[in-house]
Amino acid sequence: MICRCIFFCALLGLAAAAAAQEDTDLQALQLADQTAARPETASNWRWFGETSAGGAVRRATDTFQPAQRASLDVRYDSTFSPGWRVVLSDRLDVDNPAAAPYGNAINTLREAYLSWQAGPDLLLDLGRINERNGVALGYNPTDYFKTFAVRSTVSVDPNSLKENRQGSILLKLQKLSDSGSVTLLFSPGLDGTTDYAAFNPDLAATNHENRWLLTYSPKFANGFNPKLLVFKSDTMPTQFGLNLTALLSDAAVAYLEWSGGRSLSQLTQAEQQAALAWVNDTAFRSRLSSGLTYTTANKISLTAEFEYNGSGMDQQRWDATGTSPLYGLYRYWLQGMQESPTRRSAFLYGTWQDALINHLDLSAMQRTDLTDTSRLSWLEARYHLSRSEFALQWQRDSGSRYSEFGAAPQTQTWALVGRLYF
Amino acid sequence: MRILNLGLLTLALLSNAALALTPQEILAASDAVRNPDYPFGLTNTLIEYKNGQQTDTSTLGIYSRADPVNGQFRSLIRYIAPARDANKLILYSGRDLWFYDPSSKASIRMSPQQRLLGQASNGDVVTVNLAKDYQATSATEEDTPDGERQTRHCYRVAMQAGTEQATYHHIDMWIEVGTYRPVKARFYADSNKLLKSAYYRKYEKQLGLERPTETVIIDGLDPKWVTVMRYSDLVRRDVPELWLQREYLPRFRPE
Repeated sequence: MICRCIFFCALLGLAAAAAAQEDTDLQALQLADQTAARPETASNWRWFGETSAGGAVRRATDTFQPAQRASLDVRYDSTFSPGWRVVLSDRLDVDNPAAAPYGNAINTLREAYLSWQAGPDLLLDLGRINERNGVALGYNPTDYFKTFAVRSTVSVDPNSLKENRQGSILLKLQKLSDSGSVTLLFSPGLDGTTDYAAFNPDLAATNHENRWLLTYSPKFANGFNPKLLVFKSDTMPTQFGLNLTALLSDAAVAYLEWSGGRSLSQLTQAEQQAALAWVNDTAFRSRLSSGLTYTTANKISLTAEFEYNGSGMDQQRWDATGTSPLYGLYRYWLQGMQESPTRRSAFLYGTWQDALINHLDLSAMQRTDLTDTSRLSWLEARYHLSRSEFALQWQRDSGSRYSEFGAAPQTQTWALVGRLYF
Repeated sequence: MRILNLGLLTLALLSNAALALTPQEILAASDAVRNPDYPFGLTNTLIEYKNGQQTDTSTLGIYSRADPVNGQFRSLIRYIAPARDANKLILYSGRDLWFYDPSSKASIRMSPQQRLLGQASNGDVVTVNLAKDYQATSATEEDTPDGERQTRHCYRVAMQAGTEQATYHHIDMWIEVGTYRPVKARFYADSNKLLKSAYYRKYEKQLGLERPTETVIIDGLDPKWVTVMRYSDLVRRDVPELWLQREYLPRFRPE
């Protein structure tokens, strides 16, 4: 009798749960009935305006210096005839105070090129192209075209540094097949030097020497997609590169990016560039970036990356250089090269989509120079609506006086950013 | 593969009750109702609601082609809207996922857990042949209300994940007897927790068959979190094998 009652109660419970489920489904379906949204059509244009207000705490005086910026960003990408495509990408930043040695206005012509599909599997590109390689998040040893590419540093976020930079003038040939892709490109050296005039396309900055790059990406069915690279320039012996990724689980991706070849040390390259006396210290040097990204079920992605730059300085050399006249020359040259002055760094990056409230994305980054233990920390809270975004950014540079990040002219920066898509 | 699937659906429709299909065959027939058996393109508009308020809208262009080896679809997804995401791409090929941003030229490998589209998982958005990734274990007949609140006589097909590509541990799907139209589904975690429910509705004739043009997804934990996926512009089109590799992403410009 008792068993029969328990069975009957359980049956009633299941029926009640099923009815409750049907009720919630009904409410959701009634809501869906009201949906009136129409599909939007694709546009060849993307353009937005951005303003920023904030400032920096100057290290030398410990005083706050206000700063403002207004930017206009445009990208056009169109197939104007079968097989023909044109891409134009440009950004204008107006800074107050001016970012020396530039004036208040800095225009960055990021890309301007024509693409021709010569056959179903054969493509040719000609023009200024932001040629990027590398699977790592923070440091890309195989990103051979990053040198002297950044004209205006809008943010230290690596995504911003990769996006807001000048491409190189180059001719690129790509052959695709079902089993992979082969690319060969040539980027000619052009006469001239870096030009700081606001609207100068500054071609000589990115095309300061002849460069060649060959890449091969075989496609395997099991998700294994390595990429092999061979790079050569007028001043750099042949460099070999490798990009590897692996899916470790449903939530984790590991990556490895390596470049190696015979080269001078960075300090010797800086001396050579400045026409100072230099000693040939050519040796086989490796650069490497390896990390892991883990994503949780609630949209938090965390990346930890180890970075090694075999052309940088070891601790002893770095400590000695801090007090030598070469220090300023070395740091100035490295800014253009986008390389670390020392050998070992750690990079942590985290993002949280829809953090706490809908449409709020939080990002955090920390770079640590493992040789001098200086740190660059960066936080961003970004709230986005359908055509606008608002962000609060904070950056801190800490470390001893001549360390990688402790030598920055500011200790902290703040910025409140607003963006409107047109 | 195409002939096999079409044949299965035709056989299922002709034979109806006369020939008893296995649960797996019922599931495959239902896949053939949802998905054309050849490469195609469509526009997917996602509208997200929370607590009765519309919170997000995205429009995606989706280009799909079945893998000649395992029969599962591989897709290239292009963001059309919102403006901040326009022209970003996702290559979805089994567990091989790549995200490409034309602004930074960055190709980033993603894990299946990385969701870029709110509540809808990547597996919800792209075309999936369930019969390729799940093993149907039973099919019992019962009446159930559909997405338009009409009672339908259905097979309740229970299925278990059969490959590592499967997004969910197990699924119950209601498939209408006779037409093999999917009516609704409930998706479960390993713990038997309900993750989400989906209603397939607004059937219209597209590419020769009556197919659902809308899926309503209801979150299992928070039923006030609702995503409507609306399909339009379904066309048969060439999706070359060349497109479905990382190195093609910077080249992708659909007409």
